[in-house]
Amino acid sequence: MCHQTVSLVARHLEANGIPTVVAGCARDIVEHCGVPRFLFSDFPLGNSCGKPSDDESQRETVERALRVLESAVDGRTTVQSPLRWSDDPSWKRDFSRFDNLTPEELERRRTSFNDQKSVAKARAAEC
Amino acid sequence: MTTTEIRQTSIVIMPDDDHDPIRYIERTRNYYLAIGFDRPYQWAHYDDVPFTPLKKPLADSRIGIVTTAAPFQPDLPDQGPGAAYNAAAKFHSVYSETTGAQPDLRISHIGYDRIHTTAEDMRTWFPLEKLQEAEASGRIGSIAQRFAGAPTTRSQRHTTEIDAPEILELFKQDDVDAALLVPN
Repeated sequence: MCHQTVSLVARHLEANGIPTVVAGCARDIVEHCGVPRFLFSDFPLGNSCGKPSDDESQRETVERALRVLESAVDGRTTVQSPLRWSDDPSWKRDFSRFDNLTPEELERRRTSFNDQKSVAKARAAEC
Repeated sequence: MTTTEIRQTSIVIMPDDDHDPIRYIERTRNYYLAIGFDRPYQWAHYDDVPFTPLKKPLADSRIGIVTTAAPFQPDLPDQGPGAAYNAAAKFHSVYSETTGAQPDLRISHIGYDRIHTTAEDMRTWFPLEKLQEAEASGRIGSIAQRFAGAPTTRSQRHTTEIDAPEILELFKQDDVDAALLVPN
């Protein structure tokens, strides 16, 4: 939802005269929505500004986002960062994986998802 | 075709190429089908994309930041590194804080990758420090005095009709010239 949310905000800012760049890790969600400028880092979600404890990676990522901001000539401009999360790409196989889960674990996750939804709803009602 | 047949058909998974980006829309849809939710979410899609060129060089521009991270709330359960998904830590309205100090922002309310990253270094999801360096070197003119927090919600209408206009108003008040938006 994060990537969709900022994509929608970027579109609104842009439509009202403020140029934007999204720096993110979920390429399909951002491009499916459609944003003016997008720096894509092929990293696990949660690392849109570079690798943890890696000053150079963070500096390079923000600098690249600034370059996309100033150099794009039209909407739907995506630039993919050349930085790699790891030489081993197997981390990509684990996100939302369920083929290795037992029926009991699938049921537990269903219940847990419903519980978290209830918590979020209750908090929203309080706010 | 019955619902069951649809579900069985829909979760046939083609193997991903490890060198391609993760297809989150497809993965998420398949995951929720597997745990029993068979009404796929309709992700936002637009054919047209607005585009506004920069009005002045970055070195003269004031940059605003939009984040989906949440301010740490000491009265709530664990929001620290590696914490399980914590829906209680979600926020539901746009917030703003000063960029004059480093905030304490957490992402426990977000479905980030908890297997391969631990959320220990805020700088990986909030770019204030690196923008401050860019400001100090003259790469950008300045950083807007407040950053904006955007609540994540499944309701696209809420985002487009309530949250995005509030962030626009905030940035107008702060004379923002361009914005860097960072999802998690």
